[in-house]
Amino acid sequence: MTEADSEIIKSEMLKAYVWLQTSDDSIQQVEQEVAMFCPFICQEIHSGMGSSKNYPISLPSRVNPPMLSLILDYCRFHQVPGRSNKERKSFDEKFVRMDTKRLCELTSAADSLQLKPLVDLTSRALARVIEGKTPEEIREIFHLPDDLTEEEKLEPIKNTMDDPRIRLLNRLYARKRKELKERERLQDAEIEEERSDERSVDDLLSFINGSGEDSKGTRNSKNKKKNRKRKDQHKTAPSNCISTSNGSSSRNADMDNKESYEHNSLSGNSTVHRNLLTNLRYTTKLQGVENDRFSPEDEFDDCDLEDDIDPALKEKIDREVEDFARRLNSDWPERMQEILSLGQERRPLQSTINGNGSLRKLTSLDQRQK
Amino acid sequence: MEDDSELDLISELPQSIIEAILAKLPLRDAVRTSILSTRWRYKWASLTHIMFDDRSASHFNDRIVVQDGIVNFITRFLFLHDGPIHKFSLSSSFLQSSPDIDQWLLFLSRKDVKELILELGEGEWFRAPSCVFSCKKLTRLELVRCELDPPPNFKGFLCLKHLSLQQVLIPPDDIEYLISNCPLLESLTLSYFDSLELTVCAPNLKYLILEGEFKDLCLENTPLLVAISVAMYMTDDIAEHFEHSSSCNFDKFLGGVPKLERLIGHIYFTKYLSIGNNQKRSPITYHHLRFIELYQVSFDDMKEVLVVLQLIVNSPNLQELQISGSSNTSATVGAPDLEFWDENFSIDCTLHRLKKVKLTDVSGVEHEMKFIQFLLENSPVLEVMSITPSLYLTDGRLNMLIDLASFRRASSRAKIIFIQEPV
Repeated sequence: MTEADSEIIKSEMLKAYVWLQTSDDSIQQVEQEVAMFCPFICQEIHSGMGSSKNYPISLPSRVNPPMLSLILDYCRFHQVPGRSNKERKSFDEKFVRMDTKRLCELTSAADSLQLKPLVDLTSRALARVIEGKTPEEIREIFHLPDDLTEEEKLEPIKNTMDDPRIRLLNRLYARKRKELKERERLQDAEIEEERSDERSVDDLLSFINGSGEDSKGTRNSKNKKKNRKRKDQHKTAPSNCISTSNGSSSRNADMDNKESYEHNSLSGNSTVHRNLLTNLRYTTKLQGVENDRFSPEDEFDDCDLEDDIDPALKEKIDREVEDFARRLNSDWPERMQEILSLGQERRPLQSTINGNGSLRKLTSLDQRQK
Repeated sequence: MEDDSELDLISELPQSIIEAILAKLPLRDAVRTSILSTRWRYKWASLTHIMFDDRSASHFNDRIVVQDGIVNFITRFLFLHDGPIHKFSLSSSFLQSSPDIDQWLLFLSRKDVKELILELGEGEWFRAPSCVFSCKKLTRLELVRCELDPPPNFKGFLCLKHLSLQQVLIPPDDIEYLISNCPLLESLTLSYFDSLELTVCAPNLKYLILEGEFKDLCLENTPLLVAISVAMYMTDDIAEHFEHSSSCNFDKFLGGVPKLERLIGHIYFTKYLSIGNNQKRSPITYHHLRFIELYQVSFDDMKEVLVVLQLIVNSPNLQELQISGSSNTSATVGAPDLEFWDENFSIDCTLHRLKKVKLTDVSGVEHEMKFIQFLLENSPVLEVMSITPSLYLTDGRLNMLIDLASFRRASSRAKIIFIQEPV
């Protein structure tokens, strides 16, 4: 009898089984060495359970029979010591090819059994599902309710540097000004009731520009922000146009000048100053709205001249500007009023009437903490 | 539960899993989840492992744009973050030294960060601010392209287990001080150091990786060392320095590592060890050494061959051996001393556990063939010996094969595989 033969016989003799009970009360018999791969089951065995059919190990409720069989497949493969890393990796890759719903269930089940390698594997797979997708796509995949208000959707952090969006924002603002002017002239214009744009001052203050491939509204509103900064900067820094980063408006033209200047000179000295300015910029962003220093037509022309976006993108941007402008139309004058009167303070609850006639309440910052 | 059901699939998962998923996303995508739904609004803000890399950077042609964007993003991120931060890893080729980074590090030092990884772009090296040295809870520190200047009152990182310094400018005394004052240090990696004379005192050290131009290497107090990987570059000064050195490098380096399991030596490592080496038997036996991998072993130089033999003979449990020869066949100094081999064959040097041998860049010089013969005769459980001839050896291959075929083999299961094409 060779060494190999006697080993096989030994393992056969020692093969023990444990009994596992799933959430639906069905009981399964599983080889002990496979089941022991799960720490939870290991613990239960050591405390005496699972050795017979009458005393099965009751698995946590998140483990239903299909998940259990998947988990056992995983354990059965990986508990064999002789496999190479390559083999294991390739098994893992094939193993996680399943629909997202099952992935989520599997993650949950593996977590309740404390099977960390499988949790890592499935969460990596879920991360890959999420990565690079737009919020709508993600919501669809995971059936998430789209229950954030417009204001809440303004993401707190974004990368600032999207030049095309700066220009987009410029245009938006320019057009908006035009319309505003016109509307003021026709003072008896009826307020269109479209979707209200409930945006608290704080949120607007706190988000970073640049927009993602997210909802149009988000994108456009961000562009609006960018627009403001770019426009002001453009006027005050004649020599350097594409000052890309956070050159934005501030209260005085002087500060603006100084800021743009310093910003454009790659400084080591003015970093403190620059940091201060960064903070200031964001707080005074909206103040800039009221600065009616520029005539829309100028802005428009200037913008176009400096554009070097390719025509296709331009068209797309134009279309989106239209959309956004439409959306803004409804209560722009009202909002302007509020912004002007409230300044940087927290906005109290505000109710507006949207197109459907139902009352929608703006949430204050407090309510948003969920 | 069908797919069309309205049931939320993912938000029910426990926070730890959601964090695990978010941590595996590029940081920008993780933050974007804040607009998915109300429950997801601040899930990203409690991430404890923060890893920023170029996947989260926007790509524009203007480098300054990108850099400012990154700086802005991270500043805001840290500001809006809520909760403890255990790991902060920043690895971006766009980011250069900037005062903002100092501020981030100050912020992190106050948050008791445990793992800090910093890798900035090429260009002016980042000078680590002193707040880095006040991160008391650090267990892992990895720095690339930095200048480190420990303050005078620096007492060491008392919790540090993993230290990796690559292309780091640090005064030579300070590096030794740093190592010896991290009592829990288990893993040390030093790369691209110039002309360093290093003495390592690290009683808990298990893994050591060294790469660079070292004038002198001494493992003074490293009894628990399990794996060593060394790549020694040689410059002319260092070569000269070696000429005049009198101490035995082998003993200095491998004299105090009884628990060694893996040894990997690149480039001039064997040459380094050969300097000053006179004995045939080293003072200690490496009972746990199972895996030896040596590159650029010049079989023309008998001293290097001696080093290799010494290692092998003192490792009774050696299982796998990989040796890559050195192709620069400089003119042999005199005829090779083959008597030395006859002496060696008479001693009992059975390698009871050696199963796998891989020899590459074999140029077929005398010493090399004798070495192969030695291995074959002394390895009773050898299973595979694969030989890949050097690319420069064209005519001598047949002779090599003839010699190989004639060698006695102690193992009946030994297979000799001669690999013609480069792998």
